[in-house]
Amino acid sequence: MQQDSQPANQPNPFEKVVEFVDERVGLKTIQAKMLNEPIPGGSRWAYAFGSVLLFIFILQVVTGILLMFYYVPSTDHAYDSTQYIIHEVDYGWFLLSYHFWGSSAMVVMVFAHMSQVFLWGAYKKPRELVWLVGLALFGIVMGFGFTGYLLPWDQRAYWATVVGVEIMDKTPIVGDFMARFLKGGPTPGQMTLSRFFVIHVMVLPAALMGLAGLHIFLFRKAGPAGPFRGTPEELKAKTDYFFPRQIWKDIVAMASVFLIICSLAFIEPVVLLEQATPDPGDYHPEPEWYFLFLFQLLRLKMFGGELGQLMGAMVLPGAFMAFLAALPFIDTNPERNLFKRPIALVGWIVIMVFILIFTVSAIINRDFLH
Amino acid sequence: MVFCLLLLAAHMHPWEGTGFFLLLLVSIPIDIWALGLCARTVFIDRLKVDPQPGIGKNLWIRWAVFSAIALPLIKIIVSGATGIAKSVTSSIVHSIEEAIYEIPVAEQISLELVMWGSVASGVLILCALGWLYGLGWLTQSFVRNAKPLDGTEEERANFWDGLRIPADQPLLLTAFTGAGVVLVFVFWALLPSTTPHPHEEYEFISTGPKEEKVEPKKVLKEAEKVLAKAELVVKKLEEEKGGESKDSKDEKAKESVTKEAQPENKK
Repeated sequence: MQQDSQPANQPNPFEKVVEFVDERVGLKTIQAKMLNEPIPGGSRWAYAFGSVLLFIFILQVVTGILLMFYYVPSTDHAYDSTQYIIHEVDYGWFLLSYHFWGSSAMVVMVFAHMSQVFLWGAYKKPRELVWLVGLALFGIVMGFGFTGYLLPWDQRAYWATVVGVEIMDKTPIVGDFMARFLKGGPTPGQMTLSRFFVIHVMVLPAALMGLAGLHIFLFRKAGPAGPFRGTPEELKAKTDYFFPRQIWKDIVAMASVFLIICSLAFIEPVVLLEQATPDPGDYHPEPEWYFLFLFQLLRLKMFGGELGQLMGAMVLPGAFMAFLAALPFIDTNPERNLFKRPIALVGWIVIMVFILIFTVSAIINRDFLH
Repeated sequence: MVFCLLLLAAHMHPWEGTGFFLLLLVSIPIDIWALGLCARTVFIDRLKVDPQPGIGKNLWIRWAVFSAIALPLIKIIVSGATGIAKSVTSSIVHSIEEAIYEIPVAEQISLELVMWGSVASGVLILCALGWLYGLGWLTQSFVRNAKPLDGTEEERANFWDGLRIPADQPLLLTAFTGAGVVLVFVFWALLPSTTPHPHEEYEFISTGPKEEKVEPKKVLKEAEKVLAKAELVVKKLEEEKGGESKDSKDEKAKESVTKEAQPENKK
């Protein structure tokens, strides 16, 4: 009679390794804390934005590191090394295009995540700090887009940076210092490229990682807000753990976003313009698409002149960001139901329509320039 | 989406010709499955009724037939309304400019966009609401024939939970993982390693040691040239040598004459 070499209750080698690590680091406790988070009202697709953002950031880090193996951050070689990545490095064109579209996807997801939190009223007590750290993360994502845009050192990159730094220069008190610090000279050159590169690959990732950790910690501490509608009995009956349903929804959302970014990388891969020169020639400077609405706003006659430019470029966006930061402290009404908060709903629609109109206007405006 | 990406990687546009046809073919069963899943959720969770089996397929057929008529109609209506709104807006703005004052370009663009955009959005929203109303009207008979669900909120939630759990979870997980791995391999196999969109002015930058190309004709010509030059140099040297030897003979003769004459003088 054949006998089992291993008795039924004896742990296998893999279980032994898990046991060994668990004894030393408390693996099972961490796993339980991570996965057994109760979600009031159950899992929802609307909660996937945060996880998708984290996923996009991780892939941006991976593709960014791979690109850094070939990219040379000097004015003599930045353009050539980017062309080399596109034309010579195996799958380099795809990595660069993925990184490019990934940055846009990150901005879209930040907008979606912030909109969801705002519409769900999830910024209200006791989640004020989660909202504030989220706003700081929004600023960092915008910073990533701005600093990364210069790195290929083509005409588009150079002139978008010139426009961006000029807008920054208009900030009272700190504007001049910020613009001089970023440029490192009277015109964008080697110092500008070095500084943007360091900020893009070292300062901002470190800041984002730290703040994202704090954001998740504060979120877990306060707990998920849950849906804004439904009776307590209904919510209690549907309450579920983070694993498996929310994880499943998050994975599906991540896969969808990944496929969309890959498709965009195929359909519209990165193609560089001419190498950067201090003469724009026929090229009409324009910032990244998510800053287009602000760029078009500054073209309006009411924002002409020194004072008008200051108002349009700095005062209005600054006041809007300050309003968003103060929002949890202004709106102290505990009501979270969106349909019982008409000002919030109408305000959100107005802002979205405003952004849409000015972005489309900027695109139409291109025909008037050529 | 996955299929679309694979088509793209294989240089086949999913929105044209064969690619579009294949995409449509693949999307139909997925669409039926997704519609069935969503319908069950809405029926049980919102309407508190249990739908009859095969709701996904039956609902999909009805909706597909209705949408095949309604959507092109909506497209015609919306594009017609947009065209009229654009021309009316343009004439209004022009008459303002002629009668009152010149509107700056940026303001004009945004003003026109808001004017015709509002009309187009309004018509689109109305058409979309009509289409959704039609879909709802087609769904009503399914709701009437569905079995009402009794019990508490918790019991209904548990019933729906039970429906969502797959019968064989490890099999599902294995199938998903296997499909994922296969797709990753297919994707990287189809993906072009260098850009399919090369820059017009890009020149290849060689990083390795330069290879010297040997062209025999060129080498022979160069060798002939070198030899011809060498011949010339040799000839010149010979001539110079010849000249030198003549000169030295003359000098020696002169020396002997002077030597012969010198003893007489000393004496």
